[in-house]
Amino acid sequence: MRTSCMKSAGMVGGLLLTLIAPRGVDAQDLAITNATILTVTNGTIENGTLLVRDGKIAEIGTNVSIPNGVQVIDGTGMFLMPGIIDAHSHAALEGGINEGSESVTPEVKVQVRNDDQTIFRALAGGVTAAHLLHGSANTIGGQSAVIKMRWGKSAEELMFEEAARIVKFALGENVTRASSTAPDSLRRFPKSRMGVEHTLRWWFTEAQGYRDTWTAYERDGGFEPRRDLRLEALVDIMEGRIRVHAHSYRADEILMLMRVAEEFDFRINTFQHVLEGYKVADELAAHGAHASTFADSWAYKVEAFDAIPYNMAIMADRGVVVSVNSDSGERIRRLYQDAAIGMKYGGMSETEALKMITLNPAIQLGVEDYVGSLEVGKDADLAIFNGHPFAPGSRVEKTIVDGIIYFDRDQADTLEKLLRQHITTEDQG
Amino acid sequence: MRYSNSRFGLGAATVATLLAFGSAHASAQANVGVEGTFFIRGGTVVVGTGERLEGASVLIQDGRIAAIGSSLSAPAGATVIDATGQFVYAGMIDSYTPMGLAEIGRVSTMQMSGELGQFNPHLRAIVAINTGSVMLAITRSNGVTSAITAPTGGIISGQAALINTDGWTWEDMAVNPNAGYVVNYPSAQGGGRRGGGFAGFGGGGDDREARAREQLEELKQEIRRAKSYHMAREGGLEDQDLVYESMRPLVSRQVPAIMRVNSQEDIEGAVALGDEFDIDIVIAGGREAWKVRDMLAEKNIPVVLSSIRSTPGAGLPYDAVYAQPGVLVAAGVKIAFSTGGASNARHVPYHAALATAYGLSPEDAWKALTIWPAEIWHVDDEIGTIEEGKLANLFVADGDPLDIRTNVNEVFIKGRRVPMDDRATRLYEKHNARPKHNR
Repeated sequence: MRTSCMKSAGMVGGLLLTLIAPRGVDAQDLAITNATILTVTNGTIENGTLLVRDGKIAEIGTNVSIPNGVQVIDGTGMFLMPGIIDAHSHAALEGGINEGSESVTPEVKVQVRNDDQTIFRALAGGVTAAHLLHGSANTIGGQSAVIKMRWGKSAEELMFEEAARIVKFALGENVTRASSTAPDSLRRFPKSRMGVEHTLRWWFTEAQGYRDTWTAYERDGGFEPRRDLRLEALVDIMEGRIRVHAHSYRADEILMLMRVAEEFDFRINTFQHVLEGYKVADELAAHGAHASTFADSWAYKVEAFDAIPYNMAIMADRGVVVSVNSDSGERIRRLYQDAAIGMKYGGMSETEALKMITLNPAIQLGVEDYVGSLEVGKDADLAIFNGHPFAPGSRVEKTIVDGIIYFDRDQADTLEKLLRQHITTEDQG
Repeated sequence: MRYSNSRFGLGAATVATLLAFGSAHASAQANVGVEGTFFIRGGTVVVGTGERLEGASVLIQDGRIAAIGSSLSAPAGATVIDATGQFVYAGMIDSYTPMGLAEIGRVSTMQMSGELGQFNPHLRAIVAINTGSVMLAITRSNGVTSAITAPTGGIISGQAALINTDGWTWEDMAVNPNAGYVVNYPSAQGGGRRGGGFAGFGGGGDDREARAREQLEELKQEIRRAKSYHMAREGGLEDQDLVYESMRPLVSRQVPAIMRVNSQEDIEGAVALGDEFDIDIVIAGGREAWKVRDMLAEKNIPVVLSSIRSTPGAGLPYDAVYAQPGVLVAAGVKIAFSTGGASNARHVPYHAALATAYGLSPEDAWKALTIWPAEIWHVDDEIGTIEEGKLANLFVADGDPLDIRTNVNEVFIKGRRVPMDDRATRLYEKHNARPKHNR
C-alpha cells in the first residue's frame, strides 16, 4: 500500500503540470451537430446545429450546412447552452482581495493572475466568464475585473475587454467588522449600519465639491485644481462611468443605499448577495437595480438568517434582473445546480432559471451584446452537457470560449484515468 | 410567473393561519406532525431495495408502515392521500450535521456543539438537541427525515445521535441516541481543511507531528483504560467511573467510533487503531479514501463522505471529489452522504446527484441516502426502506428526489403527517403576498 501510494503521489505531481501548462489552442471554426440547443432567448432547438466561425456564432438551427474543413462535434444526446457567467467570484486574484486600510478606496483595482486552478475547474463546470471583485471589508472597496476563462493565456488576455467598469461597495456586518472583538479604540469607522450611510453621504458630498471645483476650472480657468484619484473615481461613479455592485444582505441597508444613490443622482447597478432582496423587490425594480444572489446559502451569520431560496423567484417576478453567483471556488463548479433551485422554490420557468447564469449576469456586467445567449453574432462561448443541465447525472463535456475548446472531458485528467494509470503502473511494477 | 409548488395547496389551513398572524408569525416554529392512520394511495412505491411497486398503496398505523400493496383498501377512519402519478420514497438521511446543536453561524450562543477538554466520550449530543431549531422543518420539507447530529471539539468529542427531524422532545426525536463516538483522530497534517482531522494547535511540521503522536498515545491510553474497566465491570467491579462507563458500548463493539480523517495516512492510522483495540470504526470525511478503497472494502469499514460540495486538493483531477463516491462503491465500500451543516441538510440529495454525474449509479446514490446510512448507524430495522414494520419515515414526491426540480409534497416522520411549512415558506408567503408597487 505504501509503495502504490508513493507512485500515485508522483502521478499527481505529473497531473499538476498538465493542469497549469495547457496545450496551445487557437481559434477555429467548428460546428456542434444534433444537439438540444438551449438558446435562452429563442427557445429550445431539438436536433440543432450551431456553427462557429472566427470565434462567433455564425448560424443556429436545424438546417445548417456545414462548410468543408470545419471541425464537427457530434452533439447527439448532448445539451448545448451559453457559457455560464459568474457575476461574483474572488478567483484568480493576486495578493489579497481587500484594501482594508481605509473604508473608502474606489481608486484601487484588483490584480488578476492567470495561474489559479479555479479557472480550469470553473471551465469544467461550464463557466466561460466571471466577475472578479474585491472583498467586503470596505464601504467602497475598489474596481473589479471581468474575465473570460481563457485558461493558459496571460492575465491581460483573460480580460473581457467589452465589460463595464465596476466598483465594489459593501454594507452590513463585514464592512462594519461586526465580528471584531477589538476594543472600540482600535476599531475603524464605521462600525454600524448608520455609520455606513454617513460614510457614503460624506464621501459623495466631497466628490460633488471636487466635481464643482473642476467644472469651475474648466469653465473659468485659473489654477488647475489638485487631482485626487479617489474623488475622481467617486465622480466617475456619480456620472455613471463606473457601475456599482454592492455587497448587501438586509432589506434596510439595501433600501438605504438606493436612497443615498438617488440623493446623489446615480443608480446602483447590481446588489450582490442581496439575500433579503425579496423584501424590497419592488423598490429594487423601481430603482433599476439588478440582483445577484445565492441559491441556498443561509444562516451562516445573523444577516443571512432570513435568506430563503425563494428570493430569486420573488425578485424576478417583480421585475428585477436576477443572477445566481458563486462567490466561491466550490459553487463556481456547479452553478447549473444553483440555477435549478429557482425552479424548485417559487416555480421559475426553465428559461428564467437558465437566464440567471447566462443572460442576466451578462446584463449586470455590461456584456449582454456579446454573451449570455445563443444568437448569431454573439461570441461562441458555449457549454456542452451530456444531459439537461438541471437534470441529476448531467455533467459538462466541453466548454468553449471564443470558439476555442478550453475544457474537454475526453482530454482532461479525471479520477477514473488516474486510477487506470495507477493500475497499469502497478501491473508493470 | 405562477407559484406551482403544490405543498401550499395541501396546507391551505396553515397558510390561512399564517396570513392572519402576519409577520409576527414568520419566525415562529413549525408544528409537529399530526398523528393518525394514513393511507397513501396509488403511487409508485420505491421500496429502496431495488424494487418499485407501481400503483401501490402504503398504510401507516401507530407510527409504522402497517401494509404495502396494490390490492389494499383504506381502513375506516384513515386519512386517504392520493399519490396517483407520484412516488413514495423512504426518508433520506444526512449522515453528519450539527442539527439542533448549532443554529446561526458566528453567534457563539448558537454554536453549542463543543465542550472543553480533550476526552468527552460521556457527552451526549442527544440531550442538547433544540427541538425549536428552525433547521428541522426546513430539512424535513425536502424529504430529509433523519440526520446524524454530532458534537465537536477535543479528541473524543462525545456521542453523536441519529435523530428524526420532527418530534416533541429529543427523546421523541431519537432514533439511535448513541450512534457513534466522534473521534478527531490526531493528525500530523494539522487539519486546515474543513471537516478535516484534528486542528487547533500551532507550531511547524515537526512540532505538529510530535504533538499528534503524543495525542494518539493519549487516545490509545484512554481506550486501553476503557477496555480494562469494561473487563473489570464484566468481572463484577461495582464502582462506576462515568467516563469509562460511557465507553463500554465502544469497546464491546456495540457502537462504532466515528473517525474524522481525510488523508490516506490518517485513514490508515484510524483503521490500525480500530484493529489494535478491536473496535468498530466508521470513517467520516474520507477525502482520500479512494486511495485505500480495497482495504476499506475488505475490512468492511464504511465511509461517511464529508460534503462533496467542495474542491479537490491541489493537483488532483478536477472531478476527484465528485467521482470518489462511484469509485468507492465500485470497490465494495459502503458509503453515506453528508452535508456537514444543518442549514442545507435539506439539499443532501443534490450532493448525491453530483456523484451520479461522475460514475455513481442512481440506485447506489439512493442507497447512500437511505438504507446504507441506516445500516451504518445500526437502525436498518427501523428506517431506510419502505417495508412493513419499519417506522413510517417516508415522503411523496412528483419525481426523482435527486432532481432539483422535483417537489416533495408530503412528509411522514414516525407516522406523523408533517405540515409542509417552515421558516422559509412563511417568509415566502408573507413577502410574496405584498401588494405590487409599480412606482
